[in-house]
Formats: sequence, C-alpha cells, structure tokens
Amino acid sequence: MINAVLVFNNNGQPRLTKFYTQLDTSVQQRLISEIFTLVSARPASSCNFLPLPPLLTPNQSHSSSSASNDAPSLVTYRHYATLYFILISTSTESPLALLDLIQVFVEALDRLFENVCELDLIFNFETQHAVLGEMIVGGVVVETGLERVVEGVRAQGRVAKRPVNEGRGTGVGGLGLGQGIWAGR
Amino acid sequence: MFEKDIYQLIRGLRAHKGTEREYIQESLKECRKEIKGQDMDQKATALLKLVYLEMFGHDMSWASFNVLEVMSSPKYLQKRVGYLAAVQSFRPDTEVLMLAENLLKKDLNSPDKATMALPMTTIPHVINPSMANSLLTDLLPRLSHSNAAIRKKTVVTLYRLALVYPETLRPAWPKIKERLLDDSEDPSVTAAIVNVICELGWRRPQDFLPLAPRLFELLTAGGNNWMAIKIIKLFSTLTSLEPRLVKKLLPPLTSIIMTTPAMSLLYECINGIIQGGIMEAAEGTTEGDEIARLCVNKLRAMLVVEGDPNLRYVALLAFAKITSSHADLVSQHQDVILECIDDADISIRTRALDLIIGMVSANNLQIVVERLLKQLRSAGIASVADAPSNDRGMHDGILPMADDEEDDPRTTIRPKEPKSTQAPPLPDDYRSSVIEKVLSMCSKDTYVNMNDFEWYIGVLVELVKQCPASSTKGHFGSHHSATGKEQTSIAEAIGTELLNVAVRVKAVRPDAAAAAQSLLMLDTREQLFPAASSGGNGVLASVATIVGEYADMLPDPEGVLTSLLHSSSSQLPASVLISYLQAIPKVFAQLTNSQRAAWTSSRQSTTVLLVARIVHFLEPLTLHPNLEVQERAVEYLDLMRLASEAASSQRTGTGDDRYAEPPLLLTQAIPSLFSGMELNPVAPAALRKVPKSEDLDLETPINSNLNMLLAGVNYDSEYMDEEDEVYRLYHERPSAVATAYERPAADMLEPPQASRSSPYQDAEADEVHQRATDRKKAERRERYRDDPYYIDSEHRSGTSTPMHNILRSSNGEELDVDAIPVMELQLDSRDVASDPERTKPAKAIRKPKRHFEIAGDETLGNDDTPTSLPTNLAKPSISREKKSLLEVDSSGLSALSLAESTSDRGNTPLDIERRQAEEEEMAKAMKEVERLRLEMQRTQERIQSRDVPDEGTVVKRKKKKKARVEMLNDPPAGDADGGEATAVRKKKKKKKRRGSDGEVQEDQNEQVDEAVAPVKAKRKKKRQVTFDEDTAGEQTV
Repeated sequence: MINAVLVFNNNGQPRLTKFYTQLDTSVQQRLISEIFTLVSARPASSCNFLPLPPLLTPNQSHSSSSASNDAPSLVTYRHYATLYFILISTSTESPLALLDLIQVFVEALDRLFENVCELDLIFNFETQHAVLGEMIVGGVVVETGLERVVEGVRAQGRVAKRPVNEGRGTGVGGLGLGQGIWAGR
Repeated sequence: MFEKDIYQLIRGLRAHKGTEREYIQESLKECRKEIKGQDMDQKATALLKLVYLEMFGHDMSWASFNVLEVMSSPKYLQKRVGYLAAVQSFRPDTEVLMLAENLLKKDLNSPDKATMALPMTTIPHVINPSMANSLLTDLLPRLSHSNAAIRKKTVVTLYRLALVYPETLRPAWPKIKERLLDDSEDPSVTAAIVNVICELGWRRPQDFLPLAPRLFELLTAGGNNWMAIKIIKLFSTLTSLEPRLVKKLLPPLTSIIMTTPAMSLLYECINGIIQGGIMEAAEGTTEGDEIARLCVNKLRAMLVVEGDPNLRYVALLAFAKITSSHADLVSQHQDVILECIDDADISIRTRALDLIIGMVSANNLQIVVERLLKQLRSAGIASVADAPSNDRGMHDGILPMADDEEDDPRTTIRPKEPKSTQAPPLPDDYRSSVIEKVLSMCSKDTYVNMNDFEWYIGVLVELVKQCPASSTKGHFGSHHSATGKEQTSIAEAIGTELLNVAVRVKAVRPDAAAAAQSLLMLDTREQLFPAASSGGNGVLASVATIVGEYADMLPDPEGVLTSLLHSSSSQLPASVLISYLQAIPKVFAQLTNSQRAAWTSSRQSTTVLLVARIVHFLEPLTLHPNLEVQERAVEYLDLMRLASEAASSQRTGTGDDRYAEPPLLLTQAIPSLFSGMELNPVAPAALRKVPKSEDLDLETPINSNLNMLLAGVNYDSEYMDEEDEVYRLYHERPSAVATAYERPAADMLEPPQASRSSPYQDAEADEVHQRATDRKKAERRERYRDDPYYIDSEHRSGTSTPMHNILRSSNGEELDVDAIPVMELQLDSRDVASDPERTKPAKAIRKPKRHFEIAGDETLGNDDTPTSLPTNLAKPSISREKKSLLEVDSSGLSALSLAESTSDRGNTPLDIERRQAEEEEMAKAMKEVERLRLEMQRTQERIQSRDVPDEGTVVKRKKKKKARVEMLNDPPAGDADGGEATAVRKKKKKKKRRGSDGEVQEDQNEQVDEAVAPVKAKRKKKRQVTFDEDTAGEQTV
C-alpha cells in the first residue's frame, strides 16, 4: 500500500502532504526534510527511486521476513519543473506503476487547472487533496483512469481557479507534461 | 474586524519575504480568534488556513474540537474543509475522535453522494478499533450503492477497518467477494477490489485460492494494466500453495511478456515469475527453460538500455531475487552487472553492490574488490559543505518561505531540463557501505574465497585511507567514546578485520604486523589516512593490539614505540588509548628482554631512557577521565617504575668480554606477563559453555554488612576523619603520582614482617604458607590441567613480583592472584553471527597457489547448534517490537481466517443485528445527551448576552468560561463508549465545573442562580442517561 504522498518544491517547501498513518506533525516535517535532502542531491539523469531516508530505515536487516511487507520500502519520486512528487509505499506496489500513478496525478491536475503550475497548487491545495482522494483512499489506489479522476473531482463542485490578479507570466503554455515513459497503465 | 481568506493568507506569506515567522505567528493568532467565533463561514476559513499552516509544521491539535464543529456544518463546502482538517490533523491521541463517530455515521447515510464520500475517505485516517465495529453497520450497505465511486471507496474503507479490527472483515468479505465475482460490475470497482485483495493476499494467501479462476479470467481479459500487475503480484504468493497454478499461468504470462507495450506490466510479469517460484517449479520442462531464458534476457536488456536508469534499477532488484536460486543464470550476466557498479546513479550502484555480494567467488573476488577500490579512489571525498547535515532545511523546520525569484512558480509543470550530470563526490554513507561490503565479501565464510592474504592486507590498508572523512568530525578527545561510538564503526571494522587476519592466518602475521606498524607510525600515517580528518582513527585500537601482540614480528619496534608514546597519542579517544596502553609495555618488553645480550652500560642507559619516556607518557594519563585508561596507566606506571629501579640498580659489565646479567625483571618477569597462551579466535558462545565452578557463589554477599555500610556512607562522610584512607581514596583527587611513588599503596598493605629488601624473591615467605600454597597449586593444576584458558603460574619463570607477595601475605592464602584464570577473548562477532558453521577448523582454499592455514573459532563441546540458537531467538522478538514509522500493521489479519466464515456464517448476521440494536440504544442515549447539552448551552448564552452590556471586562472572562463549559458538556456523548479513562476525566471536569459554578455564584447576582439550576438539573439527568445505557447493555447481552 501507499504510506504517504508528498509534494514539495525545489526549496523543500511542502505543497501537499498526505500521510496514511497518523504521525506527529514534527515527525512529518522531519521526514519531509529528510526526503528533500535526498531528492535534491540527485542529478537529473539518475533513476526515480530513492534510498530509504534515515527515519524509515529499519534497524535490523530483516528484509526477507514477511513482517517487512508492512513497512515502507520504496520511495518513488518524479520531478516536474519546480515540484517534486513523492510516493512512499510498501513492497506490494510496483515501482514502475507508481511512476505512472504520479504521472496520472499530475495529468489530472493539469486537466483541472489547464496548464497547471505551482501557483495553482499553492492556492488550491484543497483541490489537490480532492484529486488525491479520488485516486488513493486510505493508502490503496482506487482509480488510475485519468477521465474518472477528473470527473470525480468535478462532481464535488466547481474547481476554483487561481485568483486572477496572481496572473500567469508570459505564454509558458502548452501541455508541458512529458508523456509517460510507459505507455500503459 | 478585518479577516483574511486563504488566498490572502498565502499572498501575505509570499509578500513577507524574510519575516515569515512573524507573519505566521500573527496569522495563527488571528485564526485562534476567528475559529472561536459563531460565524460558520469564518470558522471554516480559519480552519482551512490552519490546515495550510499545518503543512509547514504548525501544530493545530488544539483546534480538534473546532474541526469537529466544522465537520458537522450542513454546508458541503464547509463540511469538506472540516473533513480535510480531520484527516490532516487528527492523531491517535486526539480525544474528540469519539465524538466524531456519530457524525461519521450520519454522513455515511447522507442522501448526497458527495457528502457520503467525505467520511469514507476520512475514516481510514482516523479509525480505531472501537469505532470500527460500530461504523461497519453503516458501511456495509454502501457496497451496493448505485454509484461506482462510492462502492470502490467503501471496499477500501472496509479494508482499513479490518486492519484495526480484523473481525469486521468476516461480515464484509462475502459482500466484497460478491462484487468481485459480478461480471457486470464496474471495472474500476473490480480494480479497487483486486488492489485490496492484493494487500490482504500476502497475509493469508490460502483464503484467496478459491478466487484464482476469477482472477485468472481478469488477468487474461486484459484492459487494465494496473489491475493486471496486482493480480500477478497476488498470484506470485498463491503459487506456493497451489503448484498447479504454475502451469496455468505460464502461457498468459509468456504472452504478456512478448506482447505488452507497458514496461511496468512486463517487469511485474518477470518479477512475479521470479517471486512466485515459477522458474523453479517449471524447471526442467521446455516451457520452464524457455521462460527462464526469456526473463533473464529481458532483464539484461533492461540493464543495457540507454537513457533509462529506472529500468536498470528495477532490473537489478529482480536479479537480486534470482541470485539465491539461479546463481548460474545471473553470473552469466556478470559483465553488465559489474558495469552498474560504476553507474553515475548511487541508487543503482547500491543495488548492484547488493547483487555482487551474492555473486563473488574465489575467481572474481579480486577483480570486484579492485574495481570498488578504484571507484573509491577516483571519487573525491565529500567536502564538509556537501554533507547532508549542512543542507538547509535539514535541521530547522521548514518555513513557508516567500518564493525565490529564480524558481518561478508560474512555470508550467513539466519535466525539468537535464542539469549538469557530473557525478557528485560519493556521499559518506555510500562510501562506508562500499567498505562494509568489501569487508563482508572478503571475509565471507571464514575467508573461503580468499586466495591471497597479502593482497588482502594491502586492501585493508588502502581502505583505511578511503574511510569517510567526516565520520569523527567534531568528536575528539575524551567524550568521544560516548558520542562517536557508532560513527567510527567503519574504521573500527577495518581494524577488526586486520586483527582477525593476523590472528587467524599465521602465515601472513608478519605482513599484518608490518601493515599495522605502517598504520601506526606517525610519519607514514599521513599518507595512509584520509586527508585532513580523523576518519581513520577508529582503526588504531585494533592496530595497537596487533602491534602489541605480535611485537616480535615488527620490523621496527623502536619506531612503533616512539609513535605510541608521541604526545599526540594521549589526545586519542579513550577506546584507542586503552589499546595503546596495553601495547606500550609489550613493545617495551620486546625491546628490552634479550637475555643473551650483555648488560652493558649503553644498554642500561637506553633502557632507563626508554622507561623514562614511558613514564613521562603515562603520568598524565593517570588523571584521564576515562576509568579504564586511568587504571591501566596507573598499573603500568608502577610496573615501569619498578623496571626503572631494576635497570638502574643492576650492575653493568665493565669490560667487553665480561658478561653481566641483565635484570631479571626485564628479561623474565615483564615478558612473562604477556607471553602466556597464544590468543586464538574464540566463538562468541564458547564463553557460555565454560563450566561453572561448583564453589562459585554469586548470591552470598561478600560483606554481609553491606547494606549498613552503604547506609552509613552519607552519614559518615559528614565527619569523616581526614586521615581515613578510604575517605581519601574516594574523595581526594588523585593528586599524585609522585606521592604514590613515595608511599606506594603496597606500603599500606604490607605487614611489617614482610621485608622489601629483596623484592624479587620470596625467600622470606613463611615456610608453612609456602607448603600450603604448593599443595593448593598442585591441586589446582590437576583440576585445570585440561583447561586451555588456565594460565599456570608455574609455567612461567616462577619469580613473583612484590605485588604477589604483598597480596598473598595480606589477604591470606584464600585469595591467590594466580588462581584467577586470565584469558583474553578476541571476539569477532560480525563474522560469526553470519556463519554458525564457523567452528570447523581451517577450511581448504581452492587455489593451490599458496595454502593459507586459517584458524577457526575455538569453542567447547562438539555441538555447534546451540551456539547460534540464542542469537536467532533474540532477533525476531526485537524486530517485532520495532515498528517502522509509516507502517500500517496488518499482522492482526494473519490470525483471521476467512475460510471459517462459511461455517459460522449463521452467527454473523445475528452479530450484526445485535450490534444494530446496541447502536440504536446508544443513538437514543446520545440524542438525549445532545439535547441536554444544547439546552445547557442556551442557558449559558442567555447569561452571556445579559452580561455583555453591563461590563465589558467580564465578557472575556465569561467567554472563556463559556468555552470551557461547552467543552465540559461534551464528554458525556463520548462517554457512551469511551472507556474508564474518560470516566475518570469526566469526574475531574465535573469538579472543575463545580468550581467555576461556585465562582459564578460569587461573582454574579441572582441572574446566575437561574443558570446554575439547570446545570444541576442537567447533572442529575445525565446520571439517568448513564443508567439507561447500562440497562440497554443488559438487555442486549
């Protein structure tokens, strides 16, 4: 299952945090900063899987025991422009499929905000939560289809746009999303 | 009053660059005020702002009650904010959770499906066992809701209920199964169910075997790759239970591998084949061989594919899983895997490293190790600035900063352009993990793969240089032993390895001693240790041990002694100093023990000089804060003083041809201290097997009067006589080595008749005592004849030092220093833990080039099994205790058998009915409580509104009280099923309220009396309510 979903920007400022277990706020913050430290040190050419941050590293190496299936063992991330999207999950998830899941999440946001950018997420973090709620419930993925996710969010009410005076810069338009490396989902 | 909405808060944050902290505090204060207000819109806005700030680490647990208020708002948008806040801020210890239960139940039954979805997505975050049971009845009907989105969310929520309260799965499972088997079910619901089953599956695969046909159908039907991946994952756990599945699965899996365009699905197919043991199961058949080759070839292709590091990473993960079963298949691809060791990406390197460990053999060990060494050598050591601890945002919490100009948040989100791809210096933890891996690779199975120990010693010396630089940074000096213990571990591990080789492999001992010397010598250390750091210091402890133990093999003992005695040595950490102190007299003995060389005046002066240098080094250490260091320093200092005395008093030969006897103390006594039995590797459990001496009684107190003595200590010290020796020992600073020399402790113990004039012979010892000692010694020798650890005093030169003399005469014959068997254990825990078979003596080495004799661990008795047993037993219990941070524990499920549910199905509906009845009773009681609460609140408000116009100052106080009373009024609702804890708390609160009521009475006039009356009435009624509940409970039971 998925243990946490995090979004933060290039400076490590959180834009979305969702933990599927109840954690103290201070522990959450420590985890975020640990992951940020790991992720920000990686060159662009490296793969999208992180080693476990110190907070999550088990003390003993009992990797083969079945009990470890409950413990988070996989940190997957993707980097889009100014934002990092992070998924922390157990070994029951497929690493490559999780990368696709992040892609769906971002595409859904893009569809809802039309050319989504960090500002949209800052001002509409409630909508972010709504999108995530359509895809993952209690750490289990419930929907991977883009259309249905968008539909589900729209059913909850009008999606607010970013306040007008915040404005968008010049024409940075275009669907800036890189197409998924793996066609299938 | 001016109030901000969420946009203004965010905008404000962005505008207050540099003063965010103040701005946030300000905003939090405003929120606190707003959230207490009556206006629901304002409350919700304030809550949303709090949730936003919570994301940056600002605690909002104090607002949990307000969260509940907003959750119960009738407006959807406000409700949504409330639910979001609950998800983000509720913790296991949030008390208001119990009050939320009713609300959750109500919203679950809402006609509006958007409202209904809110509790569904929230329950997984806040659920606890007591709630799980009662929410189940409301959730179950939702499984057949007309809306697919509701159905799939229900399935997942039911799964989370089962995690905290496994019994809930029993009634839920048949319905979930029904959904899964329904062909006309919405595919996305089916996918969600498959996800849940995959999570459940690895816990109890046997319960899901009956579903295999349906799952197989879903797999072959295709369409949803995500679901297919989950099904394959599930099947890989099922195959071990149902071998026939293998044959059935092979064709569809093969076809998916051949045809699918989705790399994730392709990979999971291969992974499933590996994990499910399909390769092993199908081995020998043509299909089996074919699929094995297909998988491995695909994995190889993933490794060599250009430009996709992710594939390389996962392929290595998969390879790592095959190595145990198909080592030959994997080693065919050794070339590409070895390439990955040098990959630019550390994640990939680490994976490759893990893989390589399982692949090393006698043939490729050197190649692999050389490769790793080269990597360490070529990459610069991370500078301090790169250390992760210096990264911003690491230690102080994250602040919502105003955004930097260069990172324009308006940029459309898209994959970032590749930055410079230059490899950064290796991070320290990677560096130490490489060294660790090299060590474990080489020492595997007591050096079974090692052909060339001389080369290995060279590697170890090289590794010291490659130790991570910052590992001991800032931990210098005495406090090191406490704080830097684990940080130096990598250098220590190298040292242990070196020591291990020196002890086990006799043939290379001179090489090991030479290597140790080069590491120890100050003038060579600079080249051998990591530059400008103390990273390698950990190795010194073991090195000093080697130097001392094998002093006779040192190429340059004098130089070594000079380095040991260097003034910088006394600054070393205590753990290292301890070994140093032990090594110094050993090397000294090596230098001075020659019996054959004549005792000339030049020899005398060198010896005296040497002793003087040692004394000079030891003296300051007698005041070292570490007790172990202090003790050893004091002991050897006295020994050295004796040596000095002996050396200077011994007459030297005058002429060249006359042979003068060197002092016995130097040639015999001191060397004999260190040259007893040879140190051998001892199995960790061997010590436990040493038979306990029958007359050893650890229970009887040595001093039966101990308690009184201890009690007397405080009392005594008040008027303790200055002259008292005990007092002086414990309370005065050890001022003085010098005074100690003038009046050695021995003097105090020495009875007057024992003469000190002949310190080296015990000619004057009592004849009777002597005979008794001899008899006892003979007896003892008999008893310990077969004990290898017993060091026989007769075995040695026989002369005893004055210490023996003194102790014997003062303590009587009962205590004899010689009787205490002394042994030094060199434990090599790391190796042994991994290999219980270790005790077999000297394994053969494959290459005949040079045969090394490797000493195995020594142990007692023949059976090895119990030696490893205790550690094995201890391990799981520890790991069970420790739970990973984000872990959702599903172990409760493993005890729950779903198969049983068919037999007890008769019970379950009954259960539910009973529960429903309980619920209704409870709901009634709750309503009553709620009604009373509102009544109460109304009265309070009445008081308040009347007060306001009178005095402005009271308002605040009143408001506070009101809030408190409001809080107080609520526990009853939760009380219904809260445990004893709440009951107790309630009582306390009641008291408090009584107190405040009293105040009210004093402060106010009759107006208030009106208000108090209902309070009292209410209290009575509440008691009634609890009574009702009790009877309800009785009825249902």
